[in-house]
Amino acid sequence: MPATVSISGPSSGGESPSDAELLRRHVAGDTDAFGELFRRHRDRLWAVALRTVCDPEEAADALQDAMISAFRRAGDFRGDSAVTTWLHRIVVNACLDRLRRRAVRPVTSAGDEQALEALVAHDPDPARATDTRLDVDAALRMLPAPQRAALVMVDMLGFSVDDAAAILDISPGTVKSRCARARARLLPYVAHLRGNRSASERVSPAQGGDT
Amino acid sequence: MNGTEGQMTHPESGVLAEFRAGLVTGRRRASIASHLEACDRCAGLSDHLGEIPVLLAAAPAPAMPDDVARRLDLVLAAEAAKRDSSERAVDDSPAHRPATPGPRRRWDFRLVTQRILVPAAAVVVLAAGGFGLSRVIGSSPSSSAAAGSEAAPATGQPANGPAAAPSEATSRSGAHPAIESPLNFPVVNSGTNYLRATLARQLETELQRQARSAAGPQVLASGSLKGCVQRVTQGTRPGTLALVERARFQGQPAIVIVAVSGGHDAAWVTAPGCSASSAHVLATATLPGTSAS
Repeated sequence: MPATVSISGPSSGGESPSDAELLRRHVAGDTDAFGELFRRHRDRLWAVALRTVCDPEEAADALQDAMISAFRRAGDFRGDSAVTTWLHRIVVNACLDRLRRRAVRPVTSAGDEQALEALVAHDPDPARATDTRLDVDAALRMLPAPQRAALVMVDMLGFSVDDAAAILDISPGTVKSRCARARARLLPYVAHLRGNRSASERVSPAQGGDT
Repeated sequence: MNGTEGQMTHPESGVLAEFRAGLVTGRRRASIASHLEACDRCAGLSDHLGEIPVLLAAAPAPAMPDDVARRLDLVLAAEAAKRDSSERAVDDSPAHRPATPGPRRRWDFRLVTQRILVPAAAVVVLAAGGFGLSRVIGSSPSSSAAAGSEAAPATGQPANGPAAAPSEATSRSGAHPAIESPLNFPVVNSGTNYLRATLARQLETELQRQARSAAGPQVLASGSLKGCVQRVTQGTRPGTLALVERARFQGQPAIVIVAVSGGHDAAWVTAPGCSASSAHVLATATLPGTSAS
């Protein structure tokens, strides 16, 4: 990939242009700018997509939809949010669109819970990261998509409530309540998420003691 | 403040979660707070709720699989080239840029398939009616029969007749390279055996599969294949690759190339030895593509 920095943007002094600069170059016709921008964030966007739709194929499709959409609509970006927020919003929307259209997963079912139980029952070693991840994925699958999307943003990816609200295009209060409901739903599985330590062991003995 | 009601009922986990998220206010909040001070069970649940974000954040982030990354690169390259060409076609004016075509649609093959038989320049035109290839003009009897019998039901628009294809047919010898400098495009290696009679439908399936998920193992194109693509797509004018696939055609190894070209997708099937200096085109198809309709 030839490094053709033909446009002398205001912030192009350093070795790597900012997201906003790349987007600007893309809109101005730079062929490589969008690719660079997308590649810069694609692992995180992939995580968002995968966690939101809970299916690798759907995630890839959604991410592709989102990428094309962002590519074409870059001119609509107004700079009133971070480029990453804008990108995440497009990805999340593509994911939720797909979920809506296809109803990939019913909200939750006894089958999912049984599957989760079966999964954790077969995991004697809590130290293995891959198994932990499986647990997380299985647990996420039990959540309704809107709750899951909020929880992924805030609890998994570490977005602030306000940023998550901007990405999801809902109010901060709604983000909080969706996250709260999602956590409550996952509560019975904390021990499983934690590994196979006893459910009575606490990570943070903030309040009260064990019985 | 330390009212008895707080001690009496255990709040549901949903309420506890909302409490922790700061969504419970006023007397209710005070009541729950005092309950938590007195009730180990609920305090424990509350702690567990607080643990969930920690556990979720600790889950390792999934890495994007290589095939997904390659597929996205390919789609992006196609998109970029498409924009490039539409911009050039529309006078470089940014105001016209949104004229980029919509997402790839289900292909309906109302077009004409043109065939160049190896070894020489015997050009055979396949006229397609409706969706499938339904008529063969001057071809070998076997493929003619097959084309007729295997034609898909006509769900597409009526055939445009041979007139729909001429840009490909006549401009092939033109001077514009379609892919001006072929990038490092990935090549799909598949075991697909394309047949003359069903080429169109098979391509449709393949492209849909491509659009959905990475199709088969991919490798980057070799130099000679780049040359081949450049040569074969000459005359398509600014275009971009939708698919380069090593597959089989009529049972023999072949290369399938599909390029997006101003409203149409053009497909070529070439012999495997194809390079910049020699390209035996076994069959071609011109298809209404991404920007059609």
